[in-house]
Amino acid sequence: MASPNDIKKSTVIRMNGELWVAVDFQRVSPGKGSSFVRTRLRNLKSGKVIENNFKSAETLEFEDVQYKKMQYLFNDGNLYTFMDNGSFEQVSIGKAEIAEFIPYLKEGLDVTVVMHDGNALTIALPQKIQYRITYAEPAVKGDTASGNVTKEAELDSGMKMRVPMFINTGDEILVNTDTGTYVERVSK
Amino acid sequence: MGRGLKPRLYFFMQNILDTIRDRQTINDVIRAFLRSRNYVEVETPLMVASPDIEPTLTPFETIVKTPDGSSYTAGLITSPEYSMKKLLGMGLQKIFTLTKVFRNNESFGGIHNPEFTMLEWYTQGADMFACMDETEALVHEVFAAFRHDAGVIDRKSVPDLFRELIGVDLTHASQQDLIDACNRLEVHIDSSDTESDLFYRLFLSKIEPTFADRNIFVHTYPKYQAALSRLTPDGKFGERFELYFNGVELCNAFTELTDPIEQRKRFEEESKTRLESGKTTFPIDEDLLNLLASVQNPSFGNALGVDRLLMVATGKTSLEDVLPFSAKKLFH
Repeated sequence: MASPNDIKKSTVIRMNGELWVAVDFQRVSPGKGSSFVRTRLRNLKSGKVIENNFKSAETLEFEDVQYKKMQYLFNDGNLYTFMDNGSFEQVSIGKAEIAEFIPYLKEGLDVTVVMHDGNALTIALPQKIQYRITYAEPAVKGDTASGNVTKEAELDSGMKMRVPMFINTGDEILVNTDTGTYVERVSK
Repeated sequence: MGRGLKPRLYFFMQNILDTIRDRQTINDVIRAFLRSRNYVEVETPLMVASPDIEPTLTPFETIVKTPDGSSYTAGLITSPEYSMKKLLGMGLQKIFTLTKVFRNNESFGGIHNPEFTMLEWYTQGADMFACMDETEALVHEVFAAFRHDAGVIDRKSVPDLFRELIGVDLTHASQQDLIDACNRLEVHIDSSDTESDLFYRLFLSKIEPTFADRNIFVHTYPKYQAALSRLTPDGKFGERFELYFNGVELCNAFTELTDPIEQRKRFEEESKTRLESGKTTFPIDEDLLNLLASVQNPSFGNALGVDRLLMVATGKTSLEDVLPFSAKKLFH
């Protein structure tokens, strides 16, 4: 038995006989009364995403799952394949199961694969991932003065995001995967 | 680029300097606004013997020692409310304070930070609707200082919201009516739920999400969510309001409860709830109860998160963007 306060991203909960993975969670307190944990849960079978609010005092059943370090290899458009670097075991996961993580995937990325009864359910990303800038617009003089301090850039995973003006093509940056935003430039 | 600074450092410095200037601006605007309305600025202690004992709050705890070997348990305030009400009891009519407050067990980032700046202001002889007008005027002045328009701020009572969005009349709703509404709207419930829990589940899943892209004063809460507010004449609701700005909760205000007997009862219930949930309890603030009887009825009080107001007024989405030293930066 577990408490809603222990919910983290990729915690797997058994509820009404079905397995749900926590996609997002946030603690909330009303001005008065019990505190709650607001969650977004994805059904591991149907893929349906629901919002569920648990009272902190409730008891939940967390499913016993294994978290395995694996490396992303490739995809064929529908299935995404990961490999255990120690045992060379490979697992494949459907696109729908990891839809929100796909923009972050690049060959060789270390991820955590959530395993249950020998099946790969979903993955979890590191909180920060390093990317190389494959394209950034050149900074234009005057942009900083007008308060326009970010510009669009493309990362080596193909994802596009806003970065500060001083970032150039070829730079390495850290990205926060919780918020999908730029964190800092990595010194070369 | 700046003189001799590396580009990255320049970018970082520029953000900090902007933040510091913006914080000075909002503090100046708040002070000028309230001083022009004859408020007296007061200072209240941050470290006290009896911090707020509201059961969901976790104050930072410490021990105060003196050289003669005495020691006292103490906590950092989660709000200056108790001290402010004592000052009202001593006869001050219109007061405000801009102070740091502390809450443990808060997330880092987003719209939370364990240490933040709170504006609290009180007026004797006026109720929460007068407070709503004043809050609206203040918010407009703050936005104007950043050359932004705060836009229209709607006003809705919780019973009206429940009637329109849930189809439940809170004036007569029983606990079973709330359970039925949860089932009908597929809102998850638990066997341990109290009436207050059921209410909040409906509020959280069906009402609060509708505030995401609007500005709204939400007022008149059911009595189990009354906190330190006075009850409506029928005894069913607390005279309390909150302001939501694009879904962000900015303030919590009351027509204050001034009845020391009812206040003691609520304190005792809160202490009991804290004990049951394994939280530290603190002694009931007897000075507050003694002075509360001298506070005029009605009196209003409002607690407003200044960092959050600055965040929305400058178009930012995270408190880290308005705090030069956010908890995320301080604690790794």
